[in-house]
Amino acid sequence: MTELAFLSPSACEAGVRLVSPLARVLAKVGPRDSPRDLSHLGKIEVRGELDGVDLSYRVVTFGPGRSLVLCEPDETLQAIEELRDQARFVLDQSAAFAAIEIGGEELLRRLTDLDPAALPAAGAFARVRAIVDRWGDDTFLVLVAQEHGHYVCEYVLDAMEGLGT
Amino acid sequence: MRLAEQPYELLDRDREIAFRFRGERISAFSGDTIGSALYASGRKVLSRSFKYHRPRGILCCRGYCANCMVTVDGIPNVRACEEPAREGAVVEPQNVLGSLDHDLLAVVDKIGGPFTPVGFYYRTMIRPRRLWPLYEKLLRNVAGLGKVPERDPHRRYDVEHRRARVLVVGGGRAGREAAAAHAAKGPGVVLADELPEHAALDVPGVEVIAPARAIGVWEGGLVPVEHGTVLLRFRAGHVVVATGALDQPLVFPGNDLVGVMLPGAVERLVDRYAVKPGERAVIIGSDSAAALAEAALDRAGVEIVHSLHLDDGGRAPRIGADGRGGRVRSITVDGKTFRCDLVVMSGGRQPAYSLLATAGARVEYDAVKGIFVPTEIPAGLSAVGSVTGEVGEQVVPRPSYEAAGGGKRFVCVCEDVTTKDVKRAIAEGFDSIELAKRYTTVTMGPCQGRYCQLQSTRIYAELTGTDEATVGTTTARPPWTPVSLGLVAGRHLEPLKRTSLHHRHEEAGATLIWTGAWKRPYAYGEVEPEVRAVHEGLGVIDVSTLGKIIVQGPEADQLLERLYPNRFGDMKPGRIRYGVLTTDGGRVMDDGTVARLADDLYYVTTTSTGADAVTGWFEWWNAIWGYEADIANVTGALAAVNLAGPRARQALSRLTDADVSSEGISYLDAKEIRVAGVPCLALRIGFVGELGYELHFPSPAGEHVWDALVGLGAAPFGLEPQRILRLEKAHLIVGQDTDSESNLLSAGMPWIAKLDKDDWVGKWATELAGERPFREQLVGFEMLNGTLPAEGAQVVEDGRSVGRVTSARWSAALGKHIGLAWVIPEHAGEGTSIEIRVDGQAAPAVVRAGAFYDPDGERLRS
Repeated sequence: MTELAFLSPSACEAGVRLVSPLARVLAKVGPRDSPRDLSHLGKIEVRGELDGVDLSYRVVTFGPGRSLVLCEPDETLQAIEELRDQARFVLDQSAAFAAIEIGGEELLRRLTDLDPAALPAAGAFARVRAIVDRWGDDTFLVLVAQEHGHYVCEYVLDAMEGLGT
Repeated sequence: MRLAEQPYELLDRDREIAFRFRGERISAFSGDTIGSALYASGRKVLSRSFKYHRPRGILCCRGYCANCMVTVDGIPNVRACEEPAREGAVVEPQNVLGSLDHDLLAVVDKIGGPFTPVGFYYRTMIRPRRLWPLYEKLLRNVAGLGKVPERDPHRRYDVEHRRARVLVVGGGRAGREAAAAHAAKGPGVVLADELPEHAALDVPGVEVIAPARAIGVWEGGLVPVEHGTVLLRFRAGHVVVATGALDQPLVFPGNDLVGVMLPGAVERLVDRYAVKPGERAVIIGSDSAAALAEAALDRAGVEIVHSLHLDDGGRAPRIGADGRGGRVRSITVDGKTFRCDLVVMSGGRQPAYSLLATAGARVEYDAVKGIFVPTEIPAGLSAVGSVTGEVGEQVVPRPSYEAAGGGKRFVCVCEDVTTKDVKRAIAEGFDSIELAKRYTTVTMGPCQGRYCQLQSTRIYAELTGTDEATVGTTTARPPWTPVSLGLVAGRHLEPLKRTSLHHRHEEAGATLIWTGAWKRPYAYGEVEPEVRAVHEGLGVIDVSTLGKIIVQGPEADQLLERLYPNRFGDMKPGRIRYGVLTTDGGRVMDDGTVARLADDLYYVTTTSTGADAVTGWFEWWNAIWGYEADIANVTGALAAVNLAGPRARQALSRLTDADVSSEGISYLDAKEIRVAGVPCLALRIGFVGELGYELHFPSPAGEHVWDALVGLGAAPFGLEPQRILRLEKAHLIVGQDTDSESNLLSAGMPWIAKLDKDDWVGKWATELAGERPFREQLVGFEMLNGTLPAEGAQVVEDGRSVGRVTSARWSAALGKHIGLAWVIPEHAGEGTSIEIRVDGQAAPAVVRAGAFYDPDGERLRS
């Protein structure tokens, strides 16, 4: 069976320049703590229950039997191998999602009506579909379709401007 | 006049500020509103009324009525009585032509009455119709509520989503007690109140938000709350409505004069803003609100020259106020005139039930108290305090009071509706309060019935000989309070999909156009050179927007066999077939390619706009059939480019070690290769009619691959060149050349419909379509006289329509105009002469079968 390597940024050879969908927006505003671009992370879609599976990776469960396993980019291919032994369907969706870390619950509330107390959850974020989870103590991980990444990042920055941050 | 410091004033007397009103500098203290500062400076006329342009000043001092609406920094309809004064603000009155004291449009009040009766706008200015734009402009300038700024509003509006276990609306005593009681049971209690001073409320365990105004209650506990320039969209587990009761005006001649106020307004001016509301006051009423106002006036040193106690029985007093320049100067009660500059009118207190009513509560009339009270409060809501009808003892006033001299008696000051207007509406047959609302606009103004619902019901009851319970109220609908459109609209950011090559296109100077939710290059410059590059050399186009779906599992082949009319089960891994999806009704729904990558793995492409719909379609059917197959939409994960042209193979071979010869990857092969170090799925297909490779690869590597291809001389081409190239091959575009009536047979694709398969979605309907004569068929055509028909142009015969053009372009390669059209079957044969209407003239054309360009596909397969 094909390994579907053409889906995996991690399968690119060294020297291939990988560009995040957020790169152009964030380059305009310069370095800052939030929003932080985590699009480079490996994101592996897994279908099937992962309960009881001992994983060292971060798992975002966004529906019954639907999860995204997050890992460092150089761990992605190894993680896929491991997961294929344990789940029905495993697909490298690293490139499918832009990943943004945003800071503060007030900012989150400006962007989504998802309940911060009930994360992870999937729903509307900046008027497009997203998966949202807690990331740090007061930060959140937002996963949106990569083609919406630029727009969502602009939306986040606009909301931050509204909050004076 | 400003009073000495008051115990509960909101002013910070150490911080003086100033703003401009009609260009004049007005001093204020921090904590003042624009209205209180103007009043303190002696300016009592703040604006002019909606229809009659009568002078208007503070009436309620609660931000409800339209009397003090002004324009602040270009934003219209700002209520001066609640808008905080701020340094440098520019304030202008509204509805004024001339000056506030000498408004030229006040002529409507003086002599316009007979010409502008209630509902005149439904009966006059209708003919001649061509003059309506003029009438419209005239009416808009004479009436209305301010002017919308021509430039972008100065304010920024945001939306914030909030959740609360319990949301209490109203911070009066009952609201505070309810909030505290709920807070004692657990966290998540929020109290929202309109008054800015309530921001300082300290209720243990309760988050207090003020000034904040709930504008309605929707299903699921959704309560949008206006909080400055932020709309707080609350989702509350339970909503407690504690909106209290509202002072009610009395209806008598001159009741709209500047200086005629509600008791609460007097209290707020004195106690909160340390403003003396007048020098000599008359009080009319007999409830607790009137008593409180009297006490406030006493504290402010206002002389109370008369106090009229209303009672239930006996003869109604004759009451009429007179004024000069729109300001009250005296009031006459039963023939006795009292000189005054302030009249406090108190017609009792009416529960502010509207939020409950918008949520579905019933509203019934309490004849003893003379008020409407909410009943049958829906689940998820409760009411506490005076909104429930606990307003204490109060006298039920007469619907209206008359005076010897007559004069306008206003039922609704927001919309300038008088008792005469209501009487006339009833006489004209509008004898229900709901009809009257639409005809007279009573209760439709900015106060949303707060100060006119009860009065209009009473007057209706009196004039129709019924009672208030029978007349009832108008339907309460959100928003309960006027809100800025900007607040409701939120931020104006449009969701936009960008491919990973979007910025390369921008940098190359492409003209980007919307195609569905995407923006794509129309062209990078001149269209013809881009077409020529593909025909003669090497072109590259970004096709990342194509839908891309992985279908995997041991029964993936069975799923696709049943979804598509085509046959896929017999495909060998590494091969591709063109696929068309049909609906249950056999209509063409979407198209694309299906590549078998392994026995149990397929890679499906769809149209750019069809990705989500097709994915949903697959999932929906598979949920019914239950095949062991997983479906994953990988559209965004993959960038895709089509490298096309006679030099495509040569160029690609320089970027890959893979064998890309016609033996290595033959036409309709799918093969995983590396291109410039990037893993790609190469599809040997050709939508544009030349040797081509569609490369699909991880989207983050988009620019890397694009740069490598362009670096080898591939000329970027956009959508318009692609449309020409595909038309030369007579390839249809689903949605442009097909519509909801098109089926596989009439669209010229019978070879796709495998009617010998057991079943597929749309099979029965396709069979049925085959048994009947076609109504029309899709054909190619070329023009014979050098003209270019518009898309949508009619195919005609003897002046009647026998078809329509769906696509037409100039082909430089062919040296002619070509296109696709639906025609009736009699005209569908190869070589049939047809006529197409171009610029009103019938232009000759001929029907052509098959591709116009490279009809045998030799270039494609080379």
